[in-house]
Amino acid sequence: MAIIETKNLTYTYPGGTTPSISDISLTIKKGEFITLTGPSGCGKTTLCRCFNGLIPHFYSGKLEGDLVVKDLRVIDHSISNLARHVGLVFQNPENQLFALSVEKDVAFGLENVGMPREEIRKRVDWALQMTGIENLRERAPHELSGGQQQRVAIASVLAMQPDVMVLDEPTSFLDPLGAEKIFDVINELNKKLDITVILVEHRLDLASKYTDHVIVMDKGKVLFDGGPREIFASEEVRMTGVGIPKAVMLYQALKDEGIHLKEVPITSKEATQLIREIIIHDRS
Amino acid sequence: MSVFEGLRFRRVSSPIHKLDPRVKFVYVCTAFVVAVMFNELIPLLILFFIQIPFILTARVQREWIRSMKGASLLALIIFVTNLVSRYLYTGHVWSVPLVEYSLGMTFRFIVLVESFSIFFLTTSPDHLSLALEQSHVPYELCFAFTTAVRFVPVLAEEAQTIMDAQRARGLELDRGNFIKRVKNYIPILIPLIVNSIRRSLQLAEAMESRAWGASKKRTNLYILKLRGGDFGIILFSLLTLSIAIYAKRYILIPSIFAFLPI
Repeated sequence: MAIIETKNLTYTYPGGTTPSISDISLTIKKGEFITLTGPSGCGKTTLCRCFNGLIPHFYSGKLEGDLVVKDLRVIDHSISNLARHVGLVFQNPENQLFALSVEKDVAFGLENVGMPREEIRKRVDWALQMTGIENLRERAPHELSGGQQQRVAIASVLAMQPDVMVLDEPTSFLDPLGAEKIFDVINELNKKLDITVILVEHRLDLASKYTDHVIVMDKGKVLFDGGPREIFASEEVRMTGVGIPKAVMLYQALKDEGIHLKEVPITSKEATQLIREIIIHDRS
Repeated sequence: MSVFEGLRFRRVSSPIHKLDPRVKFVYVCTAFVVAVMFNELIPLLILFFIQIPFILTARVQREWIRSMKGASLLALIIFVTNLVSRYLYTGHVWSVPLVEYSLGMTFRFIVLVESFSIFFLTTSPDHLSLALEQSHVPYELCFAFTTAVRFVPVLAEEAQTIMDAQRARGLELDRGNFIKRVKNYIPILIPLIVNSIRRSLQLAEAMESRAWGASKKRTNLYILKLRGGDFGIILFSLLTLSIAIYAKRYILIPSIFAFLPI
C-alpha cells in the first residue's frame, strides 16, 4: 500500500529561477525504510519539506504536480493537520527543541493538538521509553549532548505517533557512535512499530544496512530508485559522488581484480561472509 | 552584573521550590507592600529576618548571598545619599535618628532584593510560564518567554564562538577607549544577529512540523494546583500584612536605640 505518492512534482522557491526539484515521481510503501541520498544541494531537503506541507504552506513558492500523503493531498491540508501523519526531524538538534525540560518538549506537539492530559502523559512516557531516554526527562535541552538532543527530537516526533517519519540528516552534527545509536533507534521504530522511515543521509556506511529502498537524487531529479544492492553496485551511482558503503567499494575492487563475489555486500560482516565462501570454494 | 547572578535559577528540590509560583508571587507582593509601608528600622529588620528561614529551607543561601553582595554597593549608595540629604535637610546636625532613618531606607531596599531573589531563585522559568498561562496570558507570549529563556545559554555559547573566530582573524576587543571598545563589538553583533534570524526560521519550521496552532484549545502536560504548603504561605502573607497594618495604625514604633545599651 502506497503511503506517499508523488507525480511529476516540481517546486520553485519564491524568487528562484530554476526549480529546486523537478518532475519527481515516487511511490513509497507503508513500513519501508527508505534512504534518500545525493550530493549537497540536490533537493533532498526540499523534497522532505514537501512531505509534511512546509512546502507550499510555509515557504509559498510554486508547486506543480501531485503529492498525496496518507490519502491526503498536501496542497489541500494544513501543516498542523499533516503533522499528525508525518513527523519531521531536522538536521540541527538544537533548533528543534523549545521547552526547558525534555518531558515538556516531547509533549509539545500533543499539547498543540489539544490532547487530554492523561493521554499526553501516557504517550510521553511511551516515546521516552522507545528512544531510551527516560532518565533524561527532567533535564534541560542545553545540558544534553548532541546525540541525546537528537533522540529527544525523535521522541517528540514519535509521541505524535506518525505514520511516516522523515529524518533530514539527523546525524550530521553527531559523532559516529552517536550516529549509530540514532540509527538503531530509527531502525527499531521502523521494525517494531511499522513506521515508514525516510532517512536523508550521506553516511551510507552506517545507514545502508537497515535500508530496503534507496533513492538517489541529483540536480533536483531522481536518478535511481530501487533496492540498495543493485543501486550501490551501479557504476553511474558511484559517479554522482554519493558516499557508497565501504563493503560495496571492496566488492568493486575485487571485481576489478577478477574476483566475483556472489552478491553485493552492504556491511563488512556480509563482505567477510562472502569472501570466506570464496576462499572455502577455492580450497576444495 | 552580580545582582542578576543572584536571580539565576538552579534546579533544586525543596518545599519552597515546589510551591505554586502564583502563591510565591503573592508573597513577594506582600513583602513589597509591607516594606513600603514602613520607614522605621525595626519592622524592616523583622521583615528581613523572617525571610531567612525560606532561604534556608530552599537551600539557595549561596546564590542568595551572592545576590546580596551584588546589591551591597547599591545599598551603600542608598545609605549615603539618605544620610547626606537628611543631614542637609534637617539643619546640619548629626543625630542618632538620622542614622537610623538612613539604615531603615537601606533595609527597605535590601528586603525588596531579598524577596525578589527568593522568588526567582526558587521558581523555574517553566513554572513561571505555566503560571502565566493559567492566569490567562496568551499562550504565544508564554511560549516566547520560555523560548527566550531556553536560548540564553545557546546564544551565549554562540557569542563566545564568534568572539573566538573574530579574534583568530585579528580583531582586538579590549583595545582603545570606551567608544572604541563598543565599536569593536560590531563584528561580533552582526554575525550573532544574522545567525539568530536564521535560527528563528528553523525554529518556526520545527514548530510548524509539530502541529503548532492545530487546536484553539491547547492542553498542557502540567497543571498547577494549590496544595497544603501553598495555603500556608497565603495564610502567612495575609497574617504578615494584617499585623503590619495593625502596627502601622495602632502602635508607636520605638527607635531601635531604645533597646540598645548606648
